[in-house]
Amino acid sequence: MSYKADDIMDVCLLAGEIMLKYGAETYRVEETLERMARAASFSNVHCFATTTGIFLSFEEKKEKEDLMQMVRIDDRMQDLNKVTEVNQVSREFVSGIISVNDAREKLEQIAKAPMQYPLWLIHLAAGVAGSGFSYLFGGGWFDLIPAFLAAMVSSLVVVEFERYLKVRFAAEFTAAFCGGTTAILLVFIGLGNSLDQIIIGSLMPLVPGVPLTNAVRDLMSGDLLAGVSRGAEALLTSLAIASGIALTISIFV
Amino acid sequence: MEVIAQLLITFIATVAFGIIFSVPKRALLIGGAIGMVTWGVLQGGLYFGASSVFSTAVASLTAAAAAHFLARRIRIPVTTLAIPGILPLVPGSRAYFTMLSFVEGDYLRGLEFGVETMLRAGAIAAGLVFALAIFSYGKGIGHRYEPNR
Repeated sequence: MSYKADDIMDVCLLAGEIMLKYGAETYRVEETLERMARAASFSNVHCFATTTGIFLSFEEKKEKEDLMQMVRIDDRMQDLNKVTEVNQVSREFVSGIISVNDAREKLEQIAKAPMQYPLWLIHLAAGVAGSGFSYLFGGGWFDLIPAFLAAMVSSLVVVEFERYLKVRFAAEFTAAFCGGTTAILLVFIGLGNSLDQIIIGSLMPLVPGVPLTNAVRDLMSGDLLAGVSRGAEALLTSLAIASGIALTISIFV
Repeated sequence: MEVIAQLLITFIATVAFGIIFSVPKRALLIGGAIGMVTWGVLQGGLYFGASSVFSTAVASLTAAAAAHFLARRIRIPVTTLAIPGILPLVPGSRAYFTMLSFVEGDYLRGLEFGVETMLRAGAIAAGLVFALAIFSYGKGIGHRYEPNR
């Protein structure tokens, strides 16, 4: 099997870009790209990925020059389904089931594909998760309904504001503020008893679960740069949520 | 009865969180089941008198180990199972009371809650790391010296 180096470079970087953008760990991106390039029988393969960019270099033939490219990743989203699909494509490519053209087609499809779950289902799930956790943190059965509504409001606000606000943490701040306000309002008009638990439930959909887990994983596999930057992202998100809810409480309670 | 209701709610909430993170469909229910087991282990630890931090660490280890094992079986990235699995352990209520105490000016109580939040988060991380260490056994090459050379 011999492929043109340029094709392999494009396919590898496309795969890496999708994975990193939609919330894969750094070590997984590096390992996948190195495996794919090696499977295409290139030597001297090196990949370096951080949270915001990927470098990939390899050698085509001994007397030829080495190839080296980078991509910059600006957006970071959470869509673990796309990570899984890219993982599957790379696995098939490495074991020789599909050719490089098939791999590129599949990756482009994945990149273009819409979200796996529709937006209304995500908001509904946010409500269910919020009300469930408000019960687990000590709320009563009667608190399920206001927690559901408040969590749904915060999920709605974070998704809608991220379309307009470029600053990442502003949307989370606003969402925490709106969710907390809804919770306080609902308790004020007599729906729900334990205010604290309802507010906690309304914040649960905003928890930065993906960066938090990836930060631990990256730090432990030796990607210190990526791990620290992901940890900083998770910390900033949590601080934005905390200050949003602090503002609500100082104003309304 | 109370325990069964809690486990059921944990399952539903974890599956809902899987939808928020867009976990693939075939991993949704498995992630929910792991979350349920995690909550069960946490409550079991507390019931037998272990401290909350220790129970969290053990529950996190259980969740991460189950995630590693099952992710290998159905061939998907570990994170798709590990993230829903550890979510029931997130110290949301401690973090909230930390913030509440600081807003009310009760700094001492806030620090108390804050330390517990940090310790629990650290316990979750420790569980993840231990599971990783167990499941990558035999892949080490030495960190300080190169004994095999």
